[in-house]
Amino acid sequence: MSDLRLRVSGTTDLTPTVRRFVLRDPGGSALPAYDPGAHIVVTTPAGHRRSYSLVDPDGAQPREYVVCVRRDSGGRGGSVSLHDDVAVDADLVVSPPVNRFPLRPSPRYLFIAGGIGITPLRAMVRRLRGQGRTGVRLLYLTRSAEETPFLEEFDGPEDTVHHSDDRGLLDLWPYLAVPDDDVRIYCCGPAPLVRAVQALTAHWRISRIHVEEFAAPHSGMSAPFTAVWAPDGRRVDVPAHLSLLAALRRDGVPVASSCEAGVCGTCRLAVLGGEVEHRDSVSTGGERLSSVVACVSRARSAEIVVGPYDGGSP
Amino acid sequence: MKGRGSVKELFVYPVKGLSAQPLVRVELRPGTGIAHDRTFALARPDGGYRPGTRQGLPKQEFFALVSDHRLAGIDTHLDTQTDVLTARVAGHDVLDADLSTEEGRDDAVRFFARVLDLPAGVAPLLAREAGRRFTDAAAAGDGPMNWLSLVNLASVRDLESRTGTAVDPARFRANVVVDGLRAWSESDAIGREFDLGGVRVRAVRQTRRCAATEVDPGRGRRDLPLVSMIDRTYGHRLMGIYLEVLTAGVLEKGGEVVV
Repeated sequence: MSDLRLRVSGTTDLTPTVRRFVLRDPGGSALPAYDPGAHIVVTTPAGHRRSYSLVDPDGAQPREYVVCVRRDSGGRGGSVSLHDDVAVDADLVVSPPVNRFPLRPSPRYLFIAGGIGITPLRAMVRRLRGQGRTGVRLLYLTRSAEETPFLEEFDGPEDTVHHSDDRGLLDLWPYLAVPDDDVRIYCCGPAPLVRAVQALTAHWRISRIHVEEFAAPHSGMSAPFTAVWAPDGRRVDVPAHLSLLAALRRDGVPVASSCEAGVCGTCRLAVLGGEVEHRDSVSTGGERLSSVVACVSRARSAEIVVGPYDGGSP
Repeated sequence: MKGRGSVKELFVYPVKGLSAQPLVRVELRPGTGIAHDRTFALARPDGGYRPGTRQGLPKQEFFALVSDHRLAGIDTHLDTQTDVLTARVAGHDVLDADLSTEEGRDDAVRFFARVLDLPAGVAPLLAREAGRRFTDAAAAGDGPMNWLSLVNLASVRDLESRTGTAVDPARFRANVVVDGLRAWSESDAIGREFDLGGVRVRAVRQTRRCAATEVDPGRGRRDLPLVSMIDRTYGHRLMGIYLEVLTAGVLEKGGEVVV
């Protein structure tokens, strides 16, 4: 199917950074149908092609496509162009809907959304609940209430909305500890969340785990840096292709670890100098100030000083 | 000129395809392998293994990393004294099964049927045969069944530097990991005897690698096309060698290797 030229019929700011765009056919025709989990590829005025999930549940004979775009000023420009260059009545070139994240039948569901990853899951949850279904559980993980699109929709008995700024990262294990073949898990969010869910469901049937990962802000190349091991002052080069944990070990520094996927926190080290780019999915806000999970996180500065972590402030 | 190195690590893999268990020392006797190495396996229910099978079978008859990478996402440990198999996911206990009891074996089989996502009513057979191991080399005969596998860290580093890619030596699931030798000198030793930490061994064959090495040992994801990397780099698919044990002795971490 060829691309569509659609008109922006309305915009709403759902949060300070998330804007809702409503796209319609300029002549008022119905649009190609879609199911929850589908996305469209939007060509931005600046020329980027970006995928956005359709957030509304009923796509049988849609009159409009609704997408929600988080403005990522540290990204590659696509979301910024949509926020800054697109006003009501602008025309956009849009692909027909494609669904690589389809909602499959299941007795029950567990949806895990991280931030703007709510967009495809909102369509799924609303579709299922609109059918009167129960057993449609949602874990919605965001930084703060202010940064939570659709917050008011998810205050039911099967919803858990968790803000990491207030309470640190949510421990997902209680929700995933007991594998249940009658539950399908759908997870959409940044790479660390998706990795965490994959690691924590290693004992589930893989056919019950559905994930969609969007590029995290740090998805660029890893840069080399130098780690200084505080106890003896040795300098360890960490090349781009090695983790901090691996580089330290190769130099003979013993660091305990377990999951090596940024999930368990066993390899946490104290940070005594330098800046960290946190890539793990286990640290609380407080822990991020003073420590680093060596298996996945890296230095943002050219040099980082680390030492054993004793469980509290260094 | 003789090459001198040392034994950096020793591993036993009590269940084929499941986690490595480090050892500090191991007692060896002529013609035998490491005690408890690959003495259990998860056999395919529709394949060649039946309880009582005494001949070596190719790895395709078993669930293992070459085909079932998700097994590597589970951190397992078999207590070889009690036959209790435990499994952890990201540090959390998810299985505690006494394989010496029928109930424990059923628990383990149910657990792995789910990890392997087998259809309803299908489960792996928990294979164990007195005096036998389910090593890959067992398909070549009962002598090869007891070979030890060795990986030379210098060769792995050579691969890393030629490809610019980090290669965790654990991907090769060797029994014996040595360092201090020249890269690829282990291949030159084929057909010769040498001293491995006080135990006389013969280097019998280079190890041809399979897609099991493509699996990240900790994460249960196939993330590195290691077989094709080796092939592109060297024009072969070899990494490491097999050893036949010729004399009795105790092999320890740190032991000297003279090739």
